[in-house]
Amino acid sequence: MDENRFQRMVEDIYEMFKSYGVTKKEIETRLRLLLFEFKVPEEEARRTIINGLRKNYNIPRVDLKPALAKISEIEPNKWVSLKAKVIQLWEPNSPIISQTGLIGDETGITRFVVWAKANKTRLEEGKCYLFEKVVIDEFMGIKSVKVTSASEIREIDEQIEVKEELRELEVVGALVSIQQNSGLLQVCKICGRTVKAGTCMEHGKVETTDVLRIRGVLDDGEKIYDLILDEKVISSLTGMGLKEARKLAEEHLDRGVVLLELKKRLLGKYLKVKGEIRFRMLTVTSAEFYRPKILEEVEKALKEVEA
Amino acid sequence: MIRTTKREVARRVFSKEFNASKFKVGGEGEKEAVYVLTPLGLRCNRLFIVGVLLEKDEVRPDSDMWRIRISDPTGSFLGFVSKFQPDALDSIADINPPEIVAVTAKAKLLQRDDRVLPLIRPENINISDFETRDYWIIETARATLRRIKAIEKGDDKLAIEKYHPNIEEYRKAVIEALMRLKEEQAILEEERLEEKKERKEEEEKDLGFKLDEEIIDLSDFEI
Repeated sequence: MDENRFQRMVEDIYEMFKSYGVTKKEIETRLRLLLFEFKVPEEEARRTIINGLRKNYNIPRVDLKPALAKISEIEPNKWVSLKAKVIQLWEPNSPIISQTGLIGDETGITRFVVWAKANKTRLEEGKCYLFEKVVIDEFMGIKSVKVTSASEIREIDEQIEVKEELRELEVVGALVSIQQNSGLLQVCKICGRTVKAGTCMEHGKVETTDVLRIRGVLDDGEKIYDLILDEKVISSLTGMGLKEARKLAEEHLDRGVVLLELKKRLLGKYLKVKGEIRFRMLTVTSAEFYRPKILEEVEKALKEVEA
Repeated sequence: MIRTTKREVARRVFSKEFNASKFKVGGEGEKEAVYVLTPLGLRCNRLFIVGVLLEKDEVRPDSDMWRIRISDPTGSFLGFVSKFQPDALDSIADINPPEIVAVTAKAKLLQRDDRVLPLIRPENINISDFETRDYWIIETARATLRRIKAIEKGDDKLAIEKYHPNIEEYRKAVIEALMRLKEEQAILEEERLEEKKERKEEEEKDLGFKLDEEIIDLSDFEI
């Protein structure tokens, strides 16, 4: 363990106890003893010192708050406190989640989940909060901040400059795949998830709404982008909106026809799309068929031959 | 969306380069994909091609397995479509050669005794257009040039060692493809201009039709 890391650990613990009159020196001495002489693992040493100080100074567990962390340095299974801005709220896809979306600070962005059981006041997009005693979770390589009933959230009067709020991107490539869960879909009115045979996985038999959507892959020969195209974008490319899609499905008594038609019109086409990257998905805000001036492009390529 | 395995990029390669492939790389360990190694060092598992569907034949009657041939400026790709590619099979039924098609396909090397046969297995096939085909040629030319440069610099040791590629041959093919495209474009441009001119003349004719005719008539009369 290097000195920097050691000092940061001391700093973290000091942050938790400074209001109780604990000195940095005291923490440093104990930590050095455990880590370097007795070779206790880091986490064990940390816990022992926190518990010891708590006992010595008679501090109830609930009053202790983990040190403030930055989003770029959060690690799975750690309890932390964060100052962050709510960037985006998403539709929760399960009744056990009260709110979910993205929060960010100067160092990065991450997903967050507020459990319904946590019973917290609702967060608003664009506002900054102090999240205390939240736990970091990891699923399939993606970290998220979980707000539980032990956590505390307080709005703060600070403006946090979020790094890379949403990455705007413009890309050109060939649409090489349109996935099966595209086309004219029925989604659950409660949770917004696609419904199969009128039955929502979460809510059973439900009322549904129709949506027109494409999940596809744009490929420029070097990189791929997972895309989501909504009704507006699909309609601007193909002239087929929700109304036309419904009509087509009714005429054929088959929703699948819409997907076939969209594949026919869009697969293998070069598109220029603009959108926002959200966790490896590009949510497309505008798209057009890419039609460069061929003669100019040929000239450029021929110059590359000479170079 | 969360992928458990990474989707393979669809590479751009001319048939001349792809068809000269003899070796596979990768495929070690359970999850690693198999790639066709081309003479210019491209490792491809998936391809995107826009070209002319020239042939479409059922391998055996009622087998629902189709042998197809798709041409580009340097040669042609051999491909097979069967029930394992349901999307491609659905669309191939409605497409008849000759037709410009855009294809996303898996790149394969068929090994038989001591012969290897590069081929493609389309995942989807769609009718395309000339503009798309032209842009594909440019994109593919550029990708090929980048590979040629890497080989020249000696970057791709494996490809050089396995193939000793004749770089000039590939460079020539790229230049030819681009020059032909340029000529076509020049002709198209000329036709466009001609058309414009004709239309303009016609418009003028419409305006001064009677007068012109009278003048011509008069001159004819004088002779």
